[in-house]
Amino acid sequence: MCGINGVFAYQSCADPPEASELAATSLAMRARGPDGEGQWWSAERRCALAHRRLAIQDLSQRAAQPMVSADGALVVTFNGMIYNYPQLRAQLAANGARFRTTSDTEVLLHLYERHGQAMCDHLRGMYAFAIWDQRRRGLFLARDPYGVKPLYTANDGWTFRFASQVKALAAGGGVSLDPEPAGIVGLHLFGSVPEPFTLHRQIRALPAGHGQWVDSAGPREPRAFASIAQVLAEGAAAPAPASELSARVRAAALESVEAHLLADVEVGLFLSAGVDSGAILGLMRDAGQSRITAITLAFDEFNRSSEDEAPLAERVARHYGARHVVRRVSEAEFRADLPAILAAMDQPSIDGINTWFVSKAAKEAGLKVALSGLGGDELLAGYPSFADIPRWVRWLRPFALVPGFGAGVRRVGVALAPGAFRRRPKALSLAEFGGAYPGAYLVRRGLYMPHELARHLPADVVRDGLARLRPLHRLAETLKPDPGSAIGRVSALESANYMKNQLLRDADWAGMAHGVEIRTPLVDYALLKALAASLPALTPGAGKRALADAPSLTLPQEVVRRAKTGFSVPGWSADARGSMLTAPKGLASRAKVLELMTLPEAA
Amino acid sequence: MSEEIRILALVTGAFGETGGIASYNRAALRALAADPRVATVSVLARRGDDRRGIPGKVRQLAPIGSPVGFALAAIVMALARRPQVVFCGHLHLGWLAVVAARIAGAKLVIQAHGIEVWRRPRLRRRRRAPARADLILCVSRHTRETLLAWCDIAPERVIVVPNTISARFTPGDPGPARTRLGLAGHQRLILSVGRLDGRERYKGQDLAIGLIGELRARGRDVILAIAGEGDDRPRLEALAKAPAAADGVRFLGSVCDDALLDLYRAADLYLMPSKGEGFGIVFLEAMACGTPAIGLACGGASDALGRGLGQALAEADLLEAVDRALDGPAPDRLALSAEIHRRYGEDVFAGRIGQVLDRLEIA
Repeated sequence: MCGINGVFAYQSCADPPEASELAATSLAMRARGPDGEGQWWSAERRCALAHRRLAIQDLSQRAAQPMVSADGALVVTFNGMIYNYPQLRAQLAANGARFRTTSDTEVLLHLYERHGQAMCDHLRGMYAFAIWDQRRRGLFLARDPYGVKPLYTANDGWTFRFASQVKALAAGGGVSLDPEPAGIVGLHLFGSVPEPFTLHRQIRALPAGHGQWVDSAGPREPRAFASIAQVLAEGAAAPAPASELSARVRAAALESVEAHLLADVEVGLFLSAGVDSGAILGLMRDAGQSRITAITLAFDEFNRSSEDEAPLAERVARHYGARHVVRRVSEAEFRADLPAILAAMDQPSIDGINTWFVSKAAKEAGLKVALSGLGGDELLAGYPSFADIPRWVRWLRPFALVPGFGAGVRRVGVALAPGAFRRRPKALSLAEFGGAYPGAYLVRRGLYMPHELARHLPADVVRDGLARLRPLHRLAETLKPDPGSAIGRVSALESANYMKNQLLRDADWAGMAHGVEIRTPLVDYALLKALAASLPALTPGAGKRALADAPSLTLPQEVVRRAKTGFSVPGWSADARGSMLTAPKGLASRAKVLELMTLPEAA
Repeated sequence: MSEEIRILALVTGAFGETGGIASYNRAALRALAADPRVATVSVLARRGDDRRGIPGKVRQLAPIGSPVGFALAAIVMALARRPQVVFCGHLHLGWLAVVAARIAGAKLVIQAHGIEVWRRPRLRRRRRAPARADLILCVSRHTRETLLAWCDIAPERVIVVPNTISARFTPGDPGPARTRLGLAGHQRLILSVGRLDGRERYKGQDLAIGLIGELRARGRDVILAIAGEGDDRPRLEALAKAPAAADGVRFLGSVCDDALLDLYRAADLYLMPSKGEGFGIVFLEAMACGTPAIGLACGGASDALGRGLGQALAEADLLEAVDRALDGPAPDRLALSAEIHRRYGEDVFAGRIGQVLDRLEIA
């Protein structure tokens, strides 16, 4: 929920923040928070915070933001949800904290008061916030371990700015919009802009699981307080017996779903024909929610075809007694919405259409909050990449030891059969990159391969972008420390790259555009910790089967049997994907993107 | 911690050298020496040898012009003095500073001034060196932005530490300079200060001369005084002989510090439409003497002319802005001066250098 922003003129020679800029940035995020808005200025007028509210927890005016502590020394602007706040509140109250609201926001103030920047170790949830510390004249920002909620910053050397969206920072007018080649190259390599980069050099994402301190000496480098790879490594070091898998998944998934149901408004569900959302529906019922609205998206083109998710979703909804809403989308509606989709998209992405329409449907159904099965494949090895990548690495590792071998194969291949390799650029890149996890992942998820970039982007953008992005190095960073198992490595790569940069970003902008908070019980640091020891021994399909069996009334077998199709979208959406990539000032050849979108996922 | 930090400074010039870069280096070295945590500052310079006014903790060795000799000396100093901080006063010495810092196991601070970082260096080692710095200090936001365009370093490590302004620059009696220039009571004085450099020609004196012509054509009795010397002077003097500007431009040549102070105090307006300022310290000097300043919104000048202090404008808007400024109510010279010293005073600068030491977290 909500949109946050702020301006801090930290350098003493900086001009004070302008009220018009603060307001313009906040206004650009009005869709994120239709229920209220607020501003706060420090006494010296060097720091200003703003907030747009989507009221979900403590709907009263008392819980409005930015929220000031009772003694006036701390102020917070917060986007997200702290799922363990009732427990935290009880602990803090037992230790003498006095609460004025029942919102999770106030918990942040008391936690900071007691623990300072170490407060994040106590939080469970999706969050991005900034706390002004009047005593130290500084600002502390933090973002949740998975990066579910966005937080972008811009520092010009005098003034520090932050906001929930890149476009909102740009709308303020105080930030340089010079291009960032690493962001442009990353978009072409991955189909989404890899954090911490954005398309603008001055604007960066605060990395997931990091906190940042800013005072008159300037912003410090962000510091990590959480690491997916670290949790996976610890799990691999003390593996759990395979026989415990089902019991562990059942307990941990139920506990996470329960936590994610915390709200003062109705919590609905995005229901596909897959295991993840179906199991969540079953677990919602187990958690005691009797009235559940489940939304399923159906495309006219898929009517009665195997790609139509509606019939099977209908069965699952009936199975668990949910109120089922099937929202049909036609090509005409899609075309009508496309300009709004592109306008709402914060950073360009080649996906997000489903989330746009399912969020639209949720809003039409009167929902403000919906659970999503996002993250199940990354956590429980649901993607084909969990089988492919380790296999490629096993086969190709010996070749990777020969310096220049892969690049040589590619050059020879291009020389001998240029046409064939232009059609299947990934096949060649496999020899070049497939011998190690980061490279194999780049090939698996890549949109373009690095050697193709020169055909689509100016030479200096490719040169500077690759030099700064260092894609293989950056992917390898998500594997530190080594997650200790093949499954763990792919899980870390998928979670910290595709999921964080693409799926979660799309869920954020597309949901927020409709004022719908999307909650992801399978993207949860506590859940990861609970299951990390069970992941290394997962056999193909075992993770998803365990999740299907987690509800007390288990998921129908045909859902488990149905091949993993993911959310598919009709062919006309390829058109949109093309315009998404070209949207920021013609970054890519549209024809190439269209051609690429119609290719099967090469390997 | 008290008096424990040893600093090795590698600079192109500091004490005994002229120019903006040396002046900044002197201010930075003085501020470092004044910090109670600092024991010694050893300065190795390429040029300039004048030990007058050097603070007690600073030792500046005799200058070494030869690059090889300088490099050897830097390495010997790094080995012998074991500094905890290497301060590099110019990007061109960056690679050497990286080596010296590595030998000594020291933190590395690099200073970026202006033009030297505005273009992506062609030499790879010049691009790579600054990325190894623990902190890079830039004189302006513009210098910082242009550096970050080609240097792959965490942006948090690149901070702005602007020039400082001496407490000498205060508003004062306009009489002495006006008398020396022979100005009549109603004549208005516009001042421009800078080298008349034929190669660089970025200071914009020719633009200022053109403006004077137009203002006089409108019937304004206004005089432009140009302080500074250089090989571009004949060309500029020829420009000033144009009928429109005739008698409206005075070339003062090089002026001593005291005369310059008088000029700042006497001017109604400071005008320098320069296109290449890393920061534009002269804008601060003029405004610290209470004189409103106008420049181009170009390079680092936007910092010095920050919102509500001076005016940083597009070239097309200069004439009207100058015209308006001459018409407007008399400026509050004391308030302008106070604000400049509040933002850029020497104690503020010393505080910023202290923060640099804080951020290095020297154990």
